[in-house]
Amino acid sequence: MNGTLNDQSSIYLQIAKMLEDSILRGIYQEGEQVPSTNELARQYSINPATAAKGINLLVDEGVLYKKRGIGMFVAEGAVALVQQKRRAAFYQQYVTALAKEAKSLGLGEEELTGMIRRAYSEAQ
Amino acid sequence: MEQMALKAVGLNKSFGTKEVLKNLDLTIEPGRIYGLIGRNGAGKTTLLALLTAQLAADGGQITCGGEPVWENPAALSQLCFSREFSGAPNSVAAGLKVKDYFRIASIYYKNWDDAYAHRLAQRFGLEENKRINKLSKGMLSMVTIVVALASRAPITLLDEPVAGLDVVARELFYKLLLEDYAETGRTFVVSTHIIEEAAAVFEEVIILDEGHILEKAPTEELVAQFHLISGREDEVDAAAAGLTVLSTERMGRHKAVTVRCGENELAQAVRGRDVDVTALNLQKVFVALCGHGEVQDG
Repeated sequence: MNGTLNDQSSIYLQIAKMLEDSILRGIYQEGEQVPSTNELARQYSINPATAAKGINLLVDEGVLYKKRGIGMFVAEGAVALVQQKRRAAFYQQYVTALAKEAKSLGLGEEELTGMIRRAYSEAQ
Repeated sequence: MEQMALKAVGLNKSFGTKEVLKNLDLTIEPGRIYGLIGRNGAGKTTLLALLTAQLAADGGQITCGGEPVWENPAALSQLCFSREFSGAPNSVAAGLKVKDYFRIASIYYKNWDDAYAHRLAQRFGLEENKRINKLSKGMLSMVTIVVALASRAPITLLDEPVAGLDVVARELFYKLLLEDYAETGRTFVVSTHIIEEAAAVFEEVIILDEGHILEKAPTEELVAQFHLISGREDEVDAAAAGLTVLSTERMGRHKAVTVRCGENELAQAVRGRDVDVTALNLQKVFVALCGHGEVQDG
């Protein structure tokens, strides 16, 4: 096993991820306004500069865009963009970890794929 | 509101033979929330009192917007230092009612916002007709917080504002602080021993250790430099060779070391090693930096 970086990620990354989650769940829909830096700061008791860093990350990625003097909005195509980004990380983050754990528990490939099939059919 | 920096250069202060601050330099930039952390006796309260001219320095200079602070009403009007009550039952403030204490503050601070003070008192559930010497420790903290926020001073220093507050009141304090900061962009310096829950509130953190500034950096940038490498002793030793090791914990063949290095350097060090790497939080970083080898049980 190589040294793995534990995901005790920085607060601004958590803010970005939380906004992405909300976009995927339709809490903030494309074209709609997201909470301001100050609203996020108050809500999560974090410094506004940290909240701004999280928002700016998503602006740089094209998930959010800024309307000057009004606020931050969800870009058209944001859902697809977030899905695409998360898919790229999915294999590394979940699948390889799953396979590694299965191996260390002595589970065979058949058993593992069977479990995945069952979990997939049960997932909503 | 004019925004100015508060600056200390070559600050020295001793009490008797004890040197409390040693040739200390510090710049508080406008429009930020700073956290001031340090162990008991590190000199936090002395530093805050010196910065606001409530105490005379033995050497060095303190300026606000370029003007010396000492005996300078114009510079002092920019500053508020809301300190803990001494607890002395015979102090001047002790016999006063809370509302009278606020009235005195309203004369002292030229930007005092009376309506805001009453609103804050109400949100804390503070009875303004009570006498100061009848208040609990938590309620005394609330009084100092109300004075600090309602002073509306461009640069506001709070000395352990959350000491004695229960967790609900502490959360309320952080919320009120951030609300006011969002509205006014004032500068705050907040000293605290309750590090972890306040870490996210601070844009920058100042670590005071044995009378000098050990670190002053954006909180997240500082924290990101520290990592815990753990695993079997030989693997950990191999990974940590050549890195700056701040502390070590051992349990049988298991070993964990706290290191300080950049992300690339870390990735290089642990490549091919069977070790786990964990991020540290601000509290752990503080212990690693200021623990001086004490209390390092795994």
